[in-house]
Amino acid sequence: MELKICHLYPDVLNLYGDTGNILCMRQRLSWRGIDSGVTRVCVGETLDLSDCDLLLIGGGQDFEQEVLLPDLCSGKAETLRSAIEDGICVLAICGGYQMLGQYYETWQGLRCDFVGALDLYTVGSQQRMIGNTVYRFRNTDGSESSIVGFENHSGKTWLAEGVEPLARVEVGFGNNGEDGTEGVHYRNVFGTYSHGPLLPKNPVFCDLLLRTALERRYGKADLIPLDDSAEQEAHDAMLRRLRKA
Amino acid sequence: MRISFRAVLAIWVCKLLRMVSRLLHRGGTAMPGRIAQKLCPDLLSRLSWGVTTVAVTGTNGKTTCSRMIEEAFRESGLPYFANRSGANLMSGVVTEFVMNASAFGRMKKSYAVIECDEAAARTVFGQLHPSVIVVTNLFRDQLDRYGEITHTLSNIREGIRHVPDAVLCLNADCSLTASLADDGLANRIVWYGLDALAGRPQTASVLSDASHCIRCKAEYEYDYHTYAHLGGFRCPKCGYHRPDADFAVEEILSMDDSSSSVRFRDPSGVSTLKVNLPAVYNLYNAAAAAAAAESVGVSPEICRQALSGFACGFGRMENFPIAGGTRMILVKNPAGCTQALEYLSTVQKDFVLVVCLNDRSADGTDVSWIWDAGFELLQPLKDRIKRLYVSGDRAADMRVRLKYAGLPDSNITVQADTGKLVEALRQETLPVFILPTYTAMLDLRGEIVRRCGGAEFWE
Repeated sequence: MELKICHLYPDVLNLYGDTGNILCMRQRLSWRGIDSGVTRVCVGETLDLSDCDLLLIGGGQDFEQEVLLPDLCSGKAETLRSAIEDGICVLAICGGYQMLGQYYETWQGLRCDFVGALDLYTVGSQQRMIGNTVYRFRNTDGSESSIVGFENHSGKTWLAEGVEPLARVEVGFGNNGEDGTEGVHYRNVFGTYSHGPLLPKNPVFCDLLLRTALERRYGKADLIPLDDSAEQEAHDAMLRRLRKA
Repeated sequence: MRISFRAVLAIWVCKLLRMVSRLLHRGGTAMPGRIAQKLCPDLLSRLSWGVTTVAVTGTNGKTTCSRMIEEAFRESGLPYFANRSGANLMSGVVTEFVMNASAFGRMKKSYAVIECDEAAARTVFGQLHPSVIVVTNLFRDQLDRYGEITHTLSNIREGIRHVPDAVLCLNADCSLTASLADDGLANRIVWYGLDALAGRPQTASVLSDASHCIRCKAEYEYDYHTYAHLGGFRCPKCGYHRPDADFAVEEILSMDDSSSSVRFRDPSGVSTLKVNLPAVYNLYNAAAAAAAAESVGVSPEICRQALSGFACGFGRMENFPIAGGTRMILVKNPAGCTQALEYLSTVQKDFVLVVCLNDRSADGTDVSWIWDAGFELLQPLKDRIKRLYVSGDRAADMRVRLKYAGLPDSNITVQADTGKLVEALRQETLPVFILPTYTAMLDLRGEIVRRCGGAEFWE
């Protein structure tokens, strides 16, 4: 069994330890005897998702986002839209999450068109939404889990009517600090503002992604349970701290 | 500029507050200056007049570089003072100047070495009137506090605009730092850097803080990398490239886990330089220090002498006589931490490793940077690392990081209590390496000093 991971824009969207997410996925696969390979697609390179199981897009700086706009227009946006409709599993974080939406409008009113794969948009604000977070999310089996992470963004993201958020905010700001939603869940796309990075301290969520991607390729995926005591302790330590505050 | 009545009042208040702080066994390195500055907002401007000051700013290496410059000043017998405690915001700089002024504002010493926080540079430089400004480098660091790297860069640029007479000593190998020379500054510029990296070939860091040209956004090409994004960069599109260095490490002749020997070029010629600290990043600090000290007239011979006998302190490769010898290496961000881990790979013996991760505001509240630091470098050393302790407010996160770096979780001890940690380390007979973040370093040093003796942090 092998899982093929594509890391989009590792050269520019790599701000908040997002490579830790890839490391986490690969280790958790390897501990279960599942192989994985990572293809890095940088600015100027061709994006081919036909053989990709899991796509990761991280967050970046404003300067770097400027580099991306013309590159997205040169074919990548179209590839992303059709792969997403086709059910590819995606983890998109912060800037990468915003990028999959319709557009980004700066607080001065300048509008940049984004990929348009998801029905959401982002408006820049002068408020920096920053700090440790707890989000509540519903597993596929209906049970609820928490996601702990760190957010640092000034863009406020708004989901269109009927678009499902990934989670609800318990501590922190989430999409916009106003409507209590966090991230997006559309088909097999998981978008979130949570870095830290997200996956190492949220093994349940990491395994959900891996299962989604493996099931799509192999029809079924039995993930052997791992000893997550270190991960769970880091998760719980943050929950204890934030819930006490 | 004259000392006004207001200024004298502010000086007295500052000195008094400092005295009270010390009686209460507090450092009093910043608070007195903060109050004094409220009483007299241009106090620093009034005091710094007539003092020949070297200011050191940038992401990594400020403290080490400042100590090296100090050493050169001491060797050449210049009367100087320095903000040695690490209080490097406006408040700390003001406190330091007041403590070195008479009750009526006359400076007792004519030279100063001032380490300046890169965000504070914007406001400090204009009042400090430095004769020389050293910019060490720019890396991603505490994004929650500084914001994005380009923002830090513009803070420094704005600070420099206030002092057109200051000589700038800039890191030629850092494309971000070198871009400070862009917009027709009046300042004289002295470049320093590493001309190439001899010995172990370095590959381009996967993770770069500056992969694309700051001028035209094309991707840089590199003739060589030293570490992170530092090296012989050039932009294939607009031609922006690494400037030739006036103070340059031409070749590394030898390097072990305690010192390096290099062929060094300065405007006076080429000579052999011994740097009494290990690791490549300290060669940058040494070149920067030589450039700065020579810019205020210290002779090349004295600079060489100072660097060869230099011993750092305050958590920067600082040695403590506990266990089988303990060395503390402050880590703050991915670039610096990866360099510390690279250094550990040069240690050819069994050792005990301690990593202390805090997330207080001085450390940065976002600890995601530990995933960008190359802890995987420890993986090949795992048989030599006999015990591994993690500590600090975010010890649990550090444990997960090390687990995913491929180190056996069963070998990791979580010891959140600093006192108990130091007690445990005292029982060790092997050499110990401690990698703490800033506030963890203060706590640990305090604990070691309390239990084993040594200097308080402000001394």
